[in-house]
Amino acid sequence: MRFRKLLVLVAVLAAATTVLATAAGVAAPKQKTKSVTLVWWHNANQGAGLALWNAVAKEFHAKHPNVTVKPVAFQNEVLQNTRIPIALQSNNPPDVFQNWGGGSLVDQVKAGKVEDLTPYVKSWIKSLGGSVAGWQVNGKQYAIPYSVGVVGFWYNKDLFKQAGVTSTPKTWPQFMAAIAKLKQAGITPIAVGGRDRWPDAFYWDYLATKVCSKATMQQSAVSYNFSDPCWLKAGQLVDQLLKAQPFQAGFLATPAQQGATSSAGLLANGKAAMELQGHWNPGVMQPLTADNTIPSFLGWFPFPNVPGGKAAPNSLLGGGDGFSCSWKAPEPECAQFLQYISSLSVQRRIGSTNFGLPVAKGSESSVKDPNLKSVLAARSSSPFIQLYLDIAFSRAIGQELDNATADQFAGKATPAQVVSRIAAAAKKK
Amino acid sequence: MAAPRRSRVAPFSNAPVYAIAIALSAVVIVPIVYVALGGFRTNGQLANDPVGLPHPWIGHNYVNVLTSSGFWRQVGNSVIIAAIATLLVVTVSSLAAYPLSRFQFRGREAMYTFFTFGLLFPIAVAALPLYLLLRQLHLDESWLGVALPEAAFGIPITIIILRPFMRNVPGDLEDAAAIDGCTSFGFFWRVLLPLSRPALTTVIILSVITSWNNFIVPLLVLTEPNHWTLPLGAANYSTEHSADTAGVLAFTTLSIIPALVFFLFAERRIVGGLSGAVKG
Amino acid sequence: MASSPEALTAGRAIERPAVGRVVRKWLRIAGYIAPAATLYVVFIIVPVVQAVHYSFYNWSGLGPLSEYIGLGNYREAFGDPAFRQAMEHNGILVALSLGLQLPLSLGVALMLNRPLKGRSVLRLIFFTPYILSEAITAIVFLQILQPGGLLDAFLKAIGLGSLVHLWLADLSLVFYTLFVVITWKYIGFAIILFLAGLQGIPPELHEAAAIDGATSWKQLRYITIPMLGPTIRIWAFLSIIGSIQLFDLVWIMTLGGPAGSSSTMATYMVDQGINSLRVGYATTVAVILFGICFVFSTLYQIFVLRRDVSGSSSRMAG
Repeated sequence: MRFRKLLVLVAVLAAATTVLATAAGVAAPKQKTKSVTLVWWHNANQGAGLALWNAVAKEFHAKHPNVTVKPVAFQNEVLQNTRIPIALQSNNPPDVFQNWGGGSLVDQVKAGKVEDLTPYVKSWIKSLGGSVAGWQVNGKQYAIPYSVGVVGFWYNKDLFKQAGVTSTPKTWPQFMAAIAKLKQAGITPIAVGGRDRWPDAFYWDYLATKVCSKATMQQSAVSYNFSDPCWLKAGQLVDQLLKAQPFQAGFLATPAQQGATSSAGLLANGKAAMELQGHWNPGVMQPLTADNTIPSFLGWFPFPNVPGGKAAPNSLLGGGDGFSCSWKAPEPECAQFLQYISSLSVQRRIGSTNFGLPVAKGSESSVKDPNLKSVLAARSSSPFIQLYLDIAFSRAIGQELDNATADQFAGKATPAQVVSRIAAAAKKK
Repeated sequence: MAAPRRSRVAPFSNAPVYAIAIALSAVVIVPIVYVALGGFRTNGQLANDPVGLPHPWIGHNYVNVLTSSGFWRQVGNSVIIAAIATLLVVTVSSLAAYPLSRFQFRGREAMYTFFTFGLLFPIAVAALPLYLLLRQLHLDESWLGVALPEAAFGIPITIIILRPFMRNVPGDLEDAAAIDGCTSFGFFWRVLLPLSRPALTTVIILSVITSWNNFIVPLLVLTEPNHWTLPLGAANYSTEHSADTAGVLAFTTLSIIPALVFFLFAERRIVGGLSGAVKG
Repeated sequence: MASSPEALTAGRAIERPAVGRVVRKWLRIAGYIAPAATLYVVFIIVPVVQAVHYSFYNWSGLGPLSEYIGLGNYREAFGDPAFRQAMEHNGILVALSLGLQLPLSLGVALMLNRPLKGRSVLRLIFFTPYILSEAITAIVFLQILQPGGLLDAFLKAIGLGSLVHLWLADLSLVFYTLFVVITWKYIGFAIILFLAGLQGIPPELHEAAAIDGATSWKQLRYITIPMLGPTIRIWAFLSIIGSIQLFDLVWIMTLGGPAGSSSTMATYMVDQGINSLRVGYATTVAVILFGICFVFSTLYQIFVLRRDVSGSSSRMAG
């Protein structure tokens, strides 16, 4: 399972389009003699994901003997922050590369670095449902998602019971009450990986998603206008949370995923009751436990709704992974390869190995893990899924969002300052 | 270079000195020993008691690393790259240090200053243009693509160390060499280089260590795991196996050893080499 | 290589056309310097000049360089409190290095210069951290400094449990914690350097002083330290440059955080520039960093190092 630290994007999962999945198999190879190589950069550098992608490369070559796929796995941050930006600037980019959508994709499109896939994928793209919208720019398809998840609270059922929290909180006041009860019972309510900053931003993102209307969220990601008072309100709710001191000691220096003392490790080892994280968290937690198993006490509940918020109830925050073809990639071979990744055969394996939450219609049943099933159910029934804001925004603005919220967590920025810093970063753009 | 005798130091004053020396070296060495011991524990032991001794001792973390082909391939890549980079930087820098130290010509100091500029610029900045350049030269994914920039970045400090040393070689030797019919290159090759051996050893050691530990250049140039150097492997290992703290500690310990062994053999010489450089 | 020392050729040189001799001299110099100069220019100067060029643009690293903004990036950097904070940290680091690392490393070097048994083992021990890569050092100390880690356990064991702190999470403490790690990592280099310098001091000086009745303290003050002057000045130069450019260790351990409380100019550059895909801005910060190093090193060469370098004994005029 690949651990995405900075995740990815998503977007609107349109409410049920009921178009039947068109053939998810691969179109017959064109009778072309030219042989091509697809260099494929992805972030699954271990475990089930690595094995799956290596198999997929071989299978595709078997089906298309003239196409050789050369997968290259990178550590996620190295790929996202260093390799892809630099390679896209050179004259020799990879043909297929990981894409998280959002503001970075918009920048890549503006610079002419990614191939417009619309003509190649028209015939089958509907099999992926509404999630593909997050990888469109101006109505054109520039990347194809293979996994989309949502953020929510992973929690320890035993500790909840011990503190007398009998049902998972549905609303913000219930959530704050649960924190108070856990504290009274001498339990650290929440673990957070403050060192990495993006886990802090999840709280701000999520509260904004709950208190701002869908229209405000969508329009702000384009215009970078943050004058709506709901943005300030989100920061004030973060302050309210911080005042309750729900986090572990030293949370500002805690990494999110590395080692048993990371925030994921604290939850996995019963040292904290909750963590707000993405769908990948069980995979992160498993090896951090002494016996290398996903703890049986683990449960999942969606982020509570905020009374008085303008968002439709059950609006969620999430993101996903996809692949793009660079402007140098051979077509239609590259698009055919993406089609193969979107096929039911591959999508089902993504689900059954817990590598991700597949997007192709008909692949949902491949997800067997009960917690991931609840994540998938929340994803399917949500009226609106906001892409992680640091991905949705252009890169520089997203980074400032992470930094400003991390400063707020450290007591170095007020809610008003967070908003004004993000707006200021947007002006430089 | 043997240390001069200091018979005037009264023996009794050594007791507190030993105490201080042992205390300070404990501060230096305990972190490393702690990590090495951590490699002999399980993750469960580490999680339950971050501080304890291995109980029982577990060898498989080390065995796993030592039996993985990746580790040895990375050691090999690191050795080859360090060798090429060191050979390059020492060759070109000693050639350049010769006229910069012993010739009289206009612009000599300006040239020297120009070379020392390289110390002042952080490598991370030039990363993007450097990477594009290497791709244009088709040097990406090659040992040379890593060794050439590493050698280039080593030139300033190498010249700075070699120049005063070469300058201090007495001029009489040069005159004598000339009388024996030595050319300028002959003097450089047969007299100056052998006499500069302590300084050369020093720059070789520094160059090997710098190349061995370099992270950003191989990160840019080498994408294929088969081509990786040890630091890339270590960084990747510690993120890929971020959960496997004990394994990371074992890997860390083992990747220290080659540099330590190399230094053990070279250590005696470095002190002599540096003293030439810093006396000016 | 048809050259021989001027002392001998002076007589014959008159017969040769002067121009040819001059050309030959420059060709020879060029021949020696060219390989180093080529490598240096191609792999350092050219990329660096390109980087400077980027600093005048608002550029994400993608697409053409089109949005020229003159000194806009520079104005932004100097106006950003986060950058000023980072500069301040670099300044504190320079002061701490000179004020604490210098006496400490000098003391250890003096100690190791005595005829101690096991001296070479001690020397190896003190130099070991310098051989370790920054990445490995960071892994080691993240383990030790984590809450409940080795340091906390040690403090509790010796009854100083009240001193236990959140070493890397406390905003007012984290920078000093890092300074200790930096000292651990780099002090070996200073010690080796000073040992080398100490061995260059003729023992006769001390013997004569001892005969004249000078105390050890006086010998230290009036013989050892002045004789070590050039070594100390070189170390100070390298240490200050290193403090200004400090990056790897801080980045791997704290990412410059929490809330910028352990940032340096270089971590700021990566944070606000490279990771934000603002390549133009990143190179601006790098150019400022270079400028500071350049001004400092020029002043240092003029006022401090000059006297160490003068008095060369070049004979081969070519």
